[in-house]
Amino acid sequence: MRNRKIWMASLVALSMTVAGCAEVQRAAEDVARQSGNPRLAGAIHGAGNVVGSLFPIGYEEESSIGQAIALQVVARYGGVVDQPELVRYVNLVGRAVANTSDRPDIPYRVAILDHESINAFAAPAGYIFVTRGLLKQIKNEAELAAVLGHEIAHVSEKHILDVIQRSKRLAGVTEAGLSYATSNPAAFKGVIDGAVKKLLDEGLDQDKETDADTVGEVFAARVGYDAEAYVGLLTRLRDLKGDDRALFKTHPNFSARIEAVQKTIHAKHLVSNGLVLQERFARMTKRV
Amino acid sequence: MIPPRSFWIPLIALWIGLFVWGTEAWADTVYVQAKTAQLRAGKTSLDAVVGNVKFGDALEVVRRDGSWMEVKTSAGARGWIFANKTSTSKPSGGNDTLARLGQSMRGGDASATTASAGARGLDKASEAYANRAGVSARDREVVDRMTAYQIPDQDVEEFMREGGLGEYAK
Repeated sequence: MRNRKIWMASLVALSMTVAGCAEVQRAAEDVARQSGNPRLAGAIHGAGNVVGSLFPIGYEEESSIGQAIALQVVARYGGVVDQPELVRYVNLVGRAVANTSDRPDIPYRVAILDHESINAFAAPAGYIFVTRGLLKQIKNEAELAAVLGHEIAHVSEKHILDVIQRSKRLAGVTEAGLSYATSNPAAFKGVIDGAVKKLLDEGLDQDKETDADTVGEVFAARVGYDAEAYVGLLTRLRDLKGDDRALFKTHPNFSARIEAVQKTIHAKHLVSNGLVLQERFARMTKRV
Repeated sequence: MIPPRSFWIPLIALWIGLFVWGTEAWADTVYVQAKTAQLRAGKTSLDAVVGNVKFGDALEVVRRDGSWMEVKTSAGARGWIFANKTSTSKPSGGNDTLARLGQSMRGGDASATTASAGARGLDKASEAYANRAGVSARDREVVDRMTAYQIPDQDVEEFMREGGLGEYAK
């Protein structure tokens, strides 16, 4: 009889959990534990995790993921450029763009990877990287703003987090791993290593890249930068490397990207005679 | 011949629906789409600041003029805001209700994962990851510094003012 009551209480608690009531879930866990039924408490806890893993990742968890991915990006690319004025300049451009993004309420930081390859990355929670090689190809502040807009869009649209959540579900990893990062570091490492592989080796889905191009273009244009600047940069990179995926191997080919950006400029009536700020860019980046 | 009740009831429901929808549409509400924004006495960045609004705040549009719009806050304050700092749809931001709920249900103890998130340095989870993955002290320091890197909002405003960006367009 006593057990039956506990089971009934637990059933109600689980229903509440499914309905989104975490407090009731915890209370039910406590009842089961105090009634000498640790297995039931564990089952209720597990059910909470299963349901919880279907919800989006919160900022605190995102921050842990972002830091861990950033560690791998820095390690793989051999460190960052240590020029305070240049770093501050790149961050100021990034902040100006991020402040009018769809997610201005989180911190964004930009680092310059000391690497000659031409690439840029974004890790969750606002960790953004551009390589020295890419910075050398950029001719003005509007182009830099567009590149940073692309990376900020990956963060604001939560592209990497989507990949992580999808892979978690596919793998049947219900224990979220992320909130348990300290108690289950092996699971956390698995999640991070998978995300790093996707970001640096395999590349995000092409639709996410196109999305970042078009959303980022809007962010940069909102600040007042010339919307055509990004088209100019993409065109130069296409001429430099050819129209394949060898340059940004993670991205769609340049022609498709240019076309998508031009369509956005037209559809959203973005300003094509905005600011490019070439002199300020040249002054600030002369030591790159 | 008067139409039957079964004719009038759906029609009245449709009228009410259209009225409610129309009232919403005519209200012309926009939302602050910037971390912070200032309301000014006039439609230039040189006009005096008469109030501050923050990300996600709802504003009622009084009138539009070029790149600026005159708005009213829910508290009744009135002023001009640079239109590019607003959006017609309510932004969800970085940590919405569903995300917080999910973290709570997963048993997330903020202190376990965010010992210093938003403050200085790596948090416990990424520190544990660095240990397990064998990340060097030099690379940890880079991300540690990156995490702690901050530029005050007023410096960003000054940077935009110098460049003639946003509401400082010449």
